[in-house]
Amino acid sequence: MASRRRMLLKVIILGDSGVGKTSLMNQYVNRKFSNQYKATIGADFLTKEVQFEDRLFTLQIWDTAGQERFQSLGVAFYRGADCCVLVYDVNVMKSFDNLNNWREEFLIQASPSDPENFPFVVLGNKIDVDGGNSRVVSEKKAKAWCTSKGNIPYFETSAKEGFNVEAAFQCIAKNALKNEPEEEIYLPDTIDVAGGGRQQRSSGCEC
Amino acid sequence: MAEEEDISHPSIDPTFYDLIVVGTGLPESIIAAASSAAGKSVLHLDSNSFYGSHFSSLPLDDFASFLQSQRNVSRTESPSSIAGAVAVSGDCISVDLKLRRLYSDIEICSHASPEVLAPSRKFSLDLSGPRVLFCADSTVDLMLKSGASHHIEFKSVDASFVYSGDGRLSSVPDSRASIFKDRSLGLTEKNQLMRFFKLVQEHIGSAASFGDEKEKNGRISEEDLESPFVEFLKKQRLPQKIKSYRSHCPYLFVNQVSNLIILYAIAMADYDQDNLEDCKNLLKTKDGIESLALYHSSVGRFPNALGALIYPIYGQGEIPQAFCRCAAVKGALYVLRMPVTALLIDKGSRHYKGVRLASGQDLFSHQLIVDPSFIVPSPSVLPLPDLLQESSESSSLREVKVKVARGVCITRHSIKPDLSNLLVVFPPRSLYSEQVTSIRALQLDSNLAVCPSGLFVLYLSALCDDTNQGKKLLHAAMDALFTVSISENPENSAAPVQSEGIEGEVKPSLLWSAMYIQELATDSSEAINSAPMPDGNLNYMNLLDATVKMFHNMYPEEGFFVETMASENIEDDGGLSD
Repeated sequence: MASRRRMLLKVIILGDSGVGKTSLMNQYVNRKFSNQYKATIGADFLTKEVQFEDRLFTLQIWDTAGQERFQSLGVAFYRGADCCVLVYDVNVMKSFDNLNNWREEFLIQASPSDPENFPFVVLGNKIDVDGGNSRVVSEKKAKAWCTSKGNIPYFETSAKEGFNVEAAFQCIAKNALKNEPEEEIYLPDTIDVAGGGRQQRSSGCEC
Repeated sequence: MAEEEDISHPSIDPTFYDLIVVGTGLPESIIAAASSAAGKSVLHLDSNSFYGSHFSSLPLDDFASFLQSQRNVSRTESPSSIAGAVAVSGDCISVDLKLRRLYSDIEICSHASPEVLAPSRKFSLDLSGPRVLFCADSTVDLMLKSGASHHIEFKSVDASFVYSGDGRLSSVPDSRASIFKDRSLGLTEKNQLMRFFKLVQEHIGSAASFGDEKEKNGRISEEDLESPFVEFLKKQRLPQKIKSYRSHCPYLFVNQVSNLIILYAIAMADYDQDNLEDCKNLLKTKDGIESLALYHSSVGRFPNALGALIYPIYGQGEIPQAFCRCAAVKGALYVLRMPVTALLIDKGSRHYKGVRLASGQDLFSHQLIVDPSFIVPSPSVLPLPDLLQESSESSSLREVKVKVARGVCITRHSIKPDLSNLLVVFPPRSLYSEQVTSIRALQLDSNLAVCPSGLFVLYLSALCDDTNQGKKLLHAAMDALFTVSISENPENSAAPVQSEGIEGEVKPSLLWSAMYIQELATDSSEAINSAPMPDGNLNYMNLLDATVKMFHNMYPEEGFFVETMASENIEDDGGLSD
């Protein structure tokens, strides 16, 4: 069980509605992009096997299921995350300004034992839009913010074109793996009533 | 998106839904999830910043402030004050909603220096404790069926005990094998329990293959099934009054440990089954056997569960959140921190139409379910004589008789040093002669992530008729378990005298405690459903039944979680180990 825990890495993706969280997940896991926006329905989490230093890990990527729209994610969503991905839209200033709120919300709700060193990754998405002409947040500005928050790794991505998505998630996986799991809670006596359902679940989600 | 959106009062779109649910307690959350799964559009609101309403698990500070906020809610007794202000605007009548006080007589005592309890967020205290799940109960089945089980992990309750007077705890056997191994039971008791478990197993076995004449041997007769369970137990020729035991506990009428175990720690009877005057709920044999069957099938359902009972890591509040997440995944819209201020009623048809939010926005739906803290305006008290006259008898006036006294205790030591998570039942009259109901105590430790490591949380509850009775019940149990008597002012209490507690162990001292009386009754009118409050039971099964009924009343044509993503996992839920 203890090893199972290490094999499974929980990643949560936060950010304002419409910045492309689900699209990024879908591009990474299924290599698909849909131009049609709908507030997220139907996906609980997506999983992807990743290899790192000759070992296989399951990355479990949790979407907000639309509960971020009115800042209504419950504490349960945040629990046990190994890495937190913060996404903003480079064309929307407010989504960048809100990164700070999302980061703080995460630290309060998840209350990781070592908040200073908890792994975050920031993604500036939708760099493809209008050939970059509608961009309002510069890379420099974004990087400066990341540096000020303890050198958070920063990636500029386009979920639509698949640009930099793979690289970003590799970094996410690497950082999730580095995170020390939360202490004694996952002792072997944990009863998973779903019976390994977390693993089986992935097949049910890809439809 | 509006540039300057007021974060506290965002505007919600769309404005029309199939169902609006107010409050995120477990029944509301299950209904939201079931309705979303059935393809209904659902808006789920809560005035709090957290999920779970009366079923939530909260950090220590938030737990105290939630209870204390109830002090500001007025006690509404007279029916004339129940209906809020009524205003007519356009084709709607708006009726201001009022809150009722659901928690009263709140006593919070801290006996420890603040730094011991400092990491408030390391606590996750249940408002509706003590509560557990039986491995085989319908709540676990529903979590598997709905997919909610993917968001929750559980651990075992290590053992259960029945307090049989004078500091003596007898362990509740969970199987025939463990009856043999148990050293606290005498030979006679062992034989009785063995025989009884066998009888029940035969009955269940034969019930499963009913119609077959040969199998009728093992069955308990219909007449017996309808008879009081306690009579049935006596009929099993369980010897009367074991003398040595009688001296341990002079108040008990059922003075036999095996009966105490069966009646109060397995069948979880609330009232003294041997005293018909006080007994408000006499258990029938049928129900007793059903409880034993549930207990029996719970043991061993999951390979690494130790006994029949499990508890969710991070507290009971995880369960409503899991169902809300299921609902969200199916498209339900979630808005926390959004109070509802008024009901909107159609001027013409006089039917429910929608709700007015604290933001001033009006939202509409076909159906509405509200948190039990709302007083559902009864048509008869509205100054509109013909409003919804068909349900003129006032539901708000329902007599409130039984309440639940609840307690939460934080200590540094286990009440039973070799165990961390355990259930103790104090049967009626086991602590004092006027103890009319069972008191249940559930101790949990930090491995369930409900408190900082090195501490323990213990929940207590008992049904009561009034506050005095309720407090007396909890105080008696606390006095039996801990050193600081919280009936005294903590400032006055001198250094706690070390006294002998359970089984002669030194009693742990209390660091912090809370005690409150919770109301049980809820309103319901024909147009508006009010979700139930947490009941006095140890598990959710009755609440779940009420919830399923509410769903079917709303949507008679819809199935309750028919299409589920996790359906392929239902069959082999055997907790596959690695």
